[in-house]
Amino acid sequence: MTGHIPTVARKEFEDAGRSKLLWALSGLLVAIVVVGYTAIWYTADDATASEVLGFLGFPLQTIVPIAALIVGYMAVVGERRSGSIKLLLGLPPNRTDVVFGKLVGRMAVVGVAVILAFLIALVLGAVFFGSVPIVDWLGFAAVTLLFGVSFAGLAVGVSAGVSSRGRSMALVVGTYMIFVALWELLTAGPYYLIHDEGPPVEAETWYLVLQQFNPMSAYTTLASNVVEGTVPPFTFQYGLEEFEAAQLTPAERYAGDAPFYLQDWFGAVVLVFWLVGPVAIGYYRFSRADL
Amino acid sequence: MAAIDTTGLTKEYGDLTAVDDLDLTVETGEVFGFLGPNGAGKSTTINMLLDFTRPTAGSATVLGYDAQTEADEISPRVGVLPEGFDIYPRLSGRRHVEFAIETKDAADDPDGILDRVGLSPDDAARPAGDYSKGMCQRLATGMALVGDPDVLIMDEPSSGLDPHGIREMQDLVRDEAERGTTIFFSSHILEHVEAVCDRIGVLHEGKLVAVDTIDGLRESIGGGATMELMLDEPASGLCDSVASIDGVADVDASGRTLECSVPEPSAKAEIVTTVDGAGATIRDVRIEDVSLESLFATLTNGESDGDTGAGRSVPPKAAETPEVSE
Repeated sequence: MTGHIPTVARKEFEDAGRSKLLWALSGLLVAIVVVGYTAIWYTADDATASEVLGFLGFPLQTIVPIAALIVGYMAVVGERRSGSIKLLLGLPPNRTDVVFGKLVGRMAVVGVAVILAFLIALVLGAVFFGSVPIVDWLGFAAVTLLFGVSFAGLAVGVSAGVSSRGRSMALVVGTYMIFVALWELLTAGPYYLIHDEGPPVEAETWYLVLQQFNPMSAYTTLASNVVEGTVPPFTFQYGLEEFEAAQLTPAERYAGDAPFYLQDWFGAVVLVFWLVGPVAIGYYRFSRADL
Repeated sequence: MAAIDTTGLTKEYGDLTAVDDLDLTVETGEVFGFLGPNGAGKSTTINMLLDFTRPTAGSATVLGYDAQTEADEISPRVGVLPEGFDIYPRLSGRRHVEFAIETKDAADDPDGILDRVGLSPDDAARPAGDYSKGMCQRLATGMALVGDPDVLIMDEPSSGLDPHGIREMQDLVRDEAERGTTIFFSSHILEHVEAVCDRIGVLHEGKLVAVDTIDGLRESIGGGATMELMLDEPASGLCDSVASIDGVADVDASGRTLECSVPEPSAKAEIVTTVDGAGATIRDVRIEDVSLESLFATLTNGESDGDTGAGRSVPPKAAETPEVSE
């Protein structure tokens, strides 16, 4: 029976809504939008509202996942360590309700912060640059929303699967570092060892699939498709890959017509994967754990 | 149908056996005291009843439902006051109770519940993070009472409460028992268990060493009270007349003190009138029950140290139930 998911989610949302940390993160997100828009308005004369929207992609790809991870990483394990989970599970909600209620609640928290930031971007775009690029705006907001809830899900999944706060933090920070700082080392590195040279632009399919599964580049690829201009991915480069290659999407690097799993839209599936995978593992482990 | 029934319930953490082959039956409508020192396995047992922890072997049922496979049937019918819990510091006390009402789909009035457990409307409006340990205990008790549960499981309910709070909590337990709620009351403090429970199970190192009524337990170690009368004159002359009273087992005079062993409580008054009628002046009367502490020592060490005075709580044992880690 999972009838208590909405009740738990509502409590979660209300609880998180009183957290100063959350307000700080939302404030940061909003501040980035305000500062970004104002700065561009000052410096660029001929920018359009939809171009400026695209510029947002760069700061958002860093801040949104960090915010979402912070919102989620203590969700389940925090209650487990403090003991409030005994109060919660002593009531009718069961472990399934707890994991999915928390997942929904924390995703909603991230969603509200993202939507707030985008609403402000819409207003500032109209005020400073005189237009409302509603289609770009809707698409970009949707992609960013998916990006945010994906990382919230990843964090909630981790928080359900571990038994200590330290482990949850280590896993979440480690995962983020892999996505941002170590992805090239972990993918192009083995390629280099196997082939004695770095991956070319038109690399083998398995290598391109690996590149496709980085949620950071999945986000920038998707974002680039919905806004004017491109949103460059912010990931560490070690020079194992040519610089040119790192700027291209897997679909662009594939010789000929890319299979569906290498196409740009597949990035949405990748983001869902990073939401569902960790939650499934975390839920499995949590439902079998002694509390 | 038993309210709680365990069969061969066992929990092992590596080499340590926290609960060892426990067979326990709590009848519907009774107040059952679950007594034992810290680390005896009381909380582990409760955790298995609530499916917080899975048994290594054996099984348990609550209200006839299997604690593991039918846990969803159990939780709506049971109120739980867990041990070592925490509240949600950012949510108000009232919101906690409202949440419990939502999840139990109950028609309770949050203010009525808060009033019953002694939280004022002002306290209820504050974030629970500001609460003292005792107030948290009251809040959790309130949440447990929501939905008028058939079984109330209380793990160390008096922790954090002052003597006044403990009395209120005991009144509340009696109230609930009046309403027909079965109460499973776990504690390491004898007088708290003694004050409210119909029957007591004594747990020691994961094993159930005794299950009986308080009186039954007393009798089982040759119970009854000891009555001492301090007189103004030598007591030896009164021995025979007092010993002839029904319900007096033994009389012993030493100096001006008359010491009587009295298994039958109603005989005490007659001892006093008899002594008084014989013209003796009674300066003082002291009555001591056989303490559960000496009983406990008998049960767990296989010998009675005969001590009937000292502290009334079971001394805590060093070995706590270990925290579970994966």
